[in-house]
Amino acid sequence: MKFVNRLFLFSCVGALCLLMSCDDDPEAENIPELITQATLTFTPTGGSTGPAVVVTAVDPDLQGSQDLQVSGPINLKLGTTYQLSIELINELYEEDEEGYDVSEEVGGEEGDEHQLFFRFSTEVFSNPGGTGNIKDENNPSTTGLGSINYDDEDENGRPVGLLTTWTTINDISASGKTFQVLLKHQPNPGGKSASSTSLTGEDDMDLTFTINVVQ
Amino acid sequence: MKLLTLIAFLGISQICVAQECILRLTGHVRNENQEPLTGSTIYLNEVKQGEIASFDGSFTFNGLCAGSYTLVVRFVGYTPQEIKIELPKENPISIILSVDTRQLKDVFVHQNRLESPVSTSALLTTKELDAVQGKSLGEALQSVSGVNSIQSGPAIFKPVIHGVHSQRILILNNGIRQEGQQWGAEHAPEIDPFTASTITVVKDAGAIKYGTDALGGVIIVTPAELPTSQQLGGQVNVIASSNNRSLTYSGMLEGGFNKEGWGWRVQGTGKYAGDSRAADYVLSNTGFRERNFLAALGYHEEQKGWEVYFSHFQTTIGILRGSSVSSANDLLNAIEREPPQFTEPFTYTILQPRQEVAHSLLKLNGHVTKGQHTFQAQYGLQINQREEFDIRRGGLRDVPALAFDLFTHTLDVEWETSRASRITCRGVNAMIQDNNKIDNTQTLPFIPNFRHYSGGWYWIEQWTGNKIDWEAGLRYDFRFYNVAGFDFLNRLYRSSLAFNNFSATVGGTYKFHSQSKVTSTLASAWRPPNVAELYSLGTHQSVAAIEYGLLLDEVTTEVKSYEASGVKPEQALKWVNTWEWGTPSFNLEISGYVNYIFNYIYLRPRGVTNTIRGFYPYFRYAQTDASFVGADVTFQQKWSPSLSTRGKISWLRATDESLNDRLIFIPSNKMDVSFRYDHPQLGQLSQLFWEVKGKYVMRQTRAPRTVSVRTILENKENGIDILASNPANFDFVDAPPDYFLLQVSTGCRIPIGSTHLDARLTAENLLNASYREYTNRMRYYADDIGRNVSLSLKYLF
Repeated sequence: MKFVNRLFLFSCVGALCLLMSCDDDPEAENIPELITQATLTFTPTGGSTGPAVVVTAVDPDLQGSQDLQVSGPINLKLGTTYQLSIELINELYEEDEEGYDVSEEVGGEEGDEHQLFFRFSTEVFSNPGGTGNIKDENNPSTTGLGSINYDDEDENGRPVGLLTTWTTINDISASGKTFQVLLKHQPNPGGKSASSTSLTGEDDMDLTFTINVVQ
Repeated sequence: MKLLTLIAFLGISQICVAQECILRLTGHVRNENQEPLTGSTIYLNEVKQGEIASFDGSFTFNGLCAGSYTLVVRFVGYTPQEIKIELPKENPISIILSVDTRQLKDVFVHQNRLESPVSTSALLTTKELDAVQGKSLGEALQSVSGVNSIQSGPAIFKPVIHGVHSQRILILNNGIRQEGQQWGAEHAPEIDPFTASTITVVKDAGAIKYGTDALGGVIIVTPAELPTSQQLGGQVNVIASSNNRSLTYSGMLEGGFNKEGWGWRVQGTGKYAGDSRAADYVLSNTGFRERNFLAALGYHEEQKGWEVYFSHFQTTIGILRGSSVSSANDLLNAIEREPPQFTEPFTYTILQPRQEVAHSLLKLNGHVTKGQHTFQAQYGLQINQREEFDIRRGGLRDVPALAFDLFTHTLDVEWETSRASRITCRGVNAMIQDNNKIDNTQTLPFIPNFRHYSGGWYWIEQWTGNKIDWEAGLRYDFRFYNVAGFDFLNRLYRSSLAFNNFSATVGGTYKFHSQSKVTSTLASAWRPPNVAELYSLGTHQSVAAIEYGLLLDEVTTEVKSYEASGVKPEQALKWVNTWEWGTPSFNLEISGYVNYIFNYIYLRPRGVTNTIRGFYPYFRYAQTDASFVGADVTFQQKWSPSLSTRGKISWLRATDESLNDRLIFIPSNKMDVSFRYDHPQLGQLSQLFWEVKGKYVMRQTRAPRTVSVRTILENKENGIDILASNPANFDFVDAPPDYFLLQVSTGCRIPIGSTHLDARLTAENLLNASYREYTNRMRYYADDIGRNVSLSLKYLF
């Protein structure tokens, strides 16, 4: 019967539309899932001093065909420990609206289905060592992947990655190296778990910056 | 008929027979082309006994007493006949039924259109539909030569006629132009084939009485006529399949009222299927459900009639989980992983991504005949709701990413004049259509809201001659769109567009002799771009590509006005030539065609864009001149009354004439051959048969170049957009290799009292081959389905 009622409703709406001509403007949608701007802030921590380093990636036209505008390079100082905090913004919302700050959702309510992964050139950091925890799609069993110093966790005690700690090498300068940040959406079932990796789930954000470590 | 009855009378034997009831009456039922009407019902009024004509149209009554009897002979789609006979009678009687023109008129199909040789068309009869029972419309149509499908996984089939598809094919469901939401290649027609008694595929573009858009052809789904007498009848079908562990059931009940001429029918279908299985792994999240029903009531007499018809179609279809990707990196994972990502054990559960579609049709129609004039009118209301659920962030998991309601009102009026050798047919069509997004999807709407008005008139003349039949037709249409949507920055835009043009067709058939004829038709048709082709904006999760409509600026993505865009309607010229040659034991049909489409609209790969999610290939709707040249061959050889061979070959060559390039998703050349052995009677069982069918599908050697996702990404890392520098069409992976599928089936008819049960056992892909079909979009990620054994039962009463 539910269906019959619905049909009746549909017919009425249909008939009404015909008579009144539905020329009212359609309602704009709220669009919470997009990230239009990402800001990476490296703040010296743990006794290190110096200015914070800030880089951004901005998508000028969202689904349009213009390329992402990535600022940079990331210029870090030798032998310094930084805390990296990542802010994700959806500019389709006003600054005071809920939905503007995507990192709030990613780090909070939806932390149990998101994780940030990192990959970097070997000559950049002394801690973490290795090249990060983004696996190679071609060679998913790659060993020797480093761990990341996650400073935040979701409600299940698993890392999220909006806050991480990094210590740069302290001897030789490095320039023109790469630093990749990958935000994965890992909804369950088959999503974020003790065994999930950077190959699990879909990409929400995938950014690569140039990174230099200088005196 | 009178003559036949007379012959029957003359044939009565003068030999005196004792008054014992041991007489036998035999005969056969055929149509005007001398083809047996298998399944006709023959009812002896006096003794209330019924028989069903067997595969060769023959029937036998035993144990009859001498006397006079009335035989009532019926077959779906034919005019019932009453014949008086006297027993005893030695010779078999011959009954010839003629096509019921009234029924055909009811569905707005010109009787001469279907029978007329001035058209290249194929008919799927009730019997042929039985062989594909339980399959979706698009899949069932694949048994017609020249018809293929664009497929998206195991349950979504979009028909392709002679290489063209989507908006270029009209589907008439019970006389009403099917108006579903067709803005994606993964949108299948919302029609339950169980409601059809026959399906006709018109392969020339000349079917102009149905409207614009029929650049490729017309698919006509015709239900059985409503009963006009009180007798209750019905049918139950049950089909169980092993591959997706599915159960399909369908029931139909029909009858009449005390008053002659009144009839009703109710019908319902349900399908419940879990994950399909490729040869080596489960295709996770490919289950589906379907629930359909219809109810019809009507009154028919010789000169007039009317009908009310309501049908509802509802489906939930899972999309292969491993095909859902959100970026080129994901696409790379999805393509290169075997078995596909997220392959899980078999389940009936359907998660995201999935489609939920509901389609309702309400139809009212009437016709009245006065002398040589017949007037018909019909009104149709269609309500189509489509919701597509993607993999989304937490709280949005159960919110559809795309959701639209489409309302369509159609009104058709026709006036037909039949003279001895000439038929004139003219009519008008009008349509109002409203598309509205369902609010709160929390995504940018993929297509805008729109209101669509269209109208047209046509005039068709047909002449029937001794040697030559002619047909000519002219049609005029206008279309008007009022559009309101949101652009890439979620800002509102509005536009209005208007189109109008003529279509024309001319065709002739030359009958060399009774066994051979040749038909040639030339048609010019046009099609305005539809709203999706003009304004689409967004990502289809299954291909990880962004799509831009024709009116979106190449650089700024701003919405342009139609006038400034240089976009033109499609204009097609299609020429089809068919030669048919038939003897009682051998039939051959060879058909060749050329379809040249100016301003052909298609999705063209244009580049790679770097978004915050990573690199995405993007496609723009573009226009080019395209040609489709091909040939279909079908043949049937009867080696003996029991053994027969059937075969068909389809060949097609499509070219992007402007770019001198190849087109993507063009069906490859294929052929199939079947051998069938019929055993008329084995003990209690009748209509026993065994059939072996082999299908060979060649590799598509004319696929566009391959640019792998890996190549795109590696170049992009070095700052090179290899797609932007070369506008040629491309595909992400090579066309899959050729494949061979073997199918065996057997079936028989089991008598149950005065009724019977038809059973059929079929094994498809018997060898469990691993293969991928070029026109199946799932081929990027996974193999096609493996072995499937199905048992189908049909009980008629």
